[in-house]
Amino acid sequence: MSGEISSEQAVRGAIQTHSKRVWRFGLALSGARDVADDLLQSTCLRALERHHQVTSHDRLDSWLMTICRSIWLNEVRARSVRKAQALSVTPETELIATGPDSETNIFAAEVFTQVMHLPEAQRETVMLVFVEGYSYREAAALLEVPIGTIMSRLSTARQKLKTVMQHEAADAVRRGGK
Amino acid sequence: MTFSDETLLAYLNGNLDGTDAQEIESAVEADPELEQRLMALDPFAPVVHSVFKDVPQDAPQITLPDRARSQPASQPFRLLAVAASVAIVAVSATLWATRPAPLGWAQQAAIYQSLYVPETIATLDTAPEALEAQFAQAEATLGRPLNREALSALPGAELKRAQVLSFKGKPLVQVVFADDQGRPFAFCVIRQGPGAPDKDVNLAVLSGLATATWAEDGYGYMIIGADGQSDLSDRLTAFSEAIAS
Repeated sequence: MSGEISSEQAVRGAIQTHSKRVWRFGLALSGARDVADDLLQSTCLRALERHHQVTSHDRLDSWLMTICRSIWLNEVRARSVRKAQALSVTPETELIATGPDSETNIFAAEVFTQVMHLPEAQRETVMLVFVEGYSYREAAALLEVPIGTIMSRLSTARQKLKTVMQHEAADAVRRGGK
Repeated sequence: MTFSDETLLAYLNGNLDGTDAQEIESAVEADPELEQRLMALDPFAPVVHSVFKDVPQDAPQITLPDRARSQPASQPFRLLAVAASVAIVAVSATLWATRPAPLGWAQQAAIYQSLYVPETIATLDTAPEALEAQFAQAEATLGRPLNREALSALPGAELKRAQVLSFKGKPLVQVVFADDQGRPFAFCVIRQGPGAPDKDVNLAVLSGLATATWAEDGYGYMIIGADGQSDLSDRLTAFSEAIAS
């Protein structure tokens, strides 16, 4: 046997390692945790079926993300959209880990809500860049848009997030001034 | 074309006009190094990251079919499988390690301060009575004096406001100043409790702002400069003397 690991092993390993990221991305795409569950499951099965296509074991995370997004766009989105719209009105803030400080928790819930309320294109971009740490060009490749589009989506998203962050600052001032 | 951290931060905060923003965006397309700088300065990314990093809290359930039967399950193969998963874990551990850690008070204060612009402090009420009331409240919350007189007399710094904030339940006071050019910079004090270790001065650029942090006798201190290039050494001496006097 050669010293190389089989592509199936690599894909299985990547699935274990990146399951949270793929789930999170599924949540960002769909806005609903049950859809995220389904997206992750389908993504993993699809990835295993296609392990022969894997030529490099380097960036299996972005490969999984791409599969997840294509399943969302081609197979799930149409039937989930109504549901997702309904859910995006009340994003699932209970998903956030709560700490001992209630003000921090409220702030986290506000940021979470604001991100989940972004239009889908901005939301998936914010998720990939801010949360998963992909560079602008990596996100551009993954989402198949020009890098300028990534940057302008982020700019728009920042303007919306700024409101929450400034509210937080204002709240802090009010609390201090009471 | 090079851009200062200040310009990049203005872009990230949405404070550049369309043409200037366009210029940065087209420069980034050709310049991965600029892209990295811009990403590192982004004050929004660490906040959003910290909110989402533990979502979902537990590893999600996945049902995978058993391994294909054609593959040998011999001992060497298992070892290779273990080696593979270790390699993948190592790669992903590296990726995670390079991600922002949970935010400490200094990072959070820097993020907050990075939203300040000259306009934020231009119209603050700096009448002696107003400052006196703010300092009385800040000193009471912190449980230590802040020497307003000394802070009012610092060179190249106009005292603008002291406000009480809180980080994870610990009282945090931000004293904001205008520098010679009217740009905001801050001096922060947090009460960490009598058991907190002393720390030597640490210089870092956080959220695009030059900062100096240190800790002494249960309090943490931080100077947050007006931009990423500010030399804080003079301020450091001035503030530690002011606070000690």
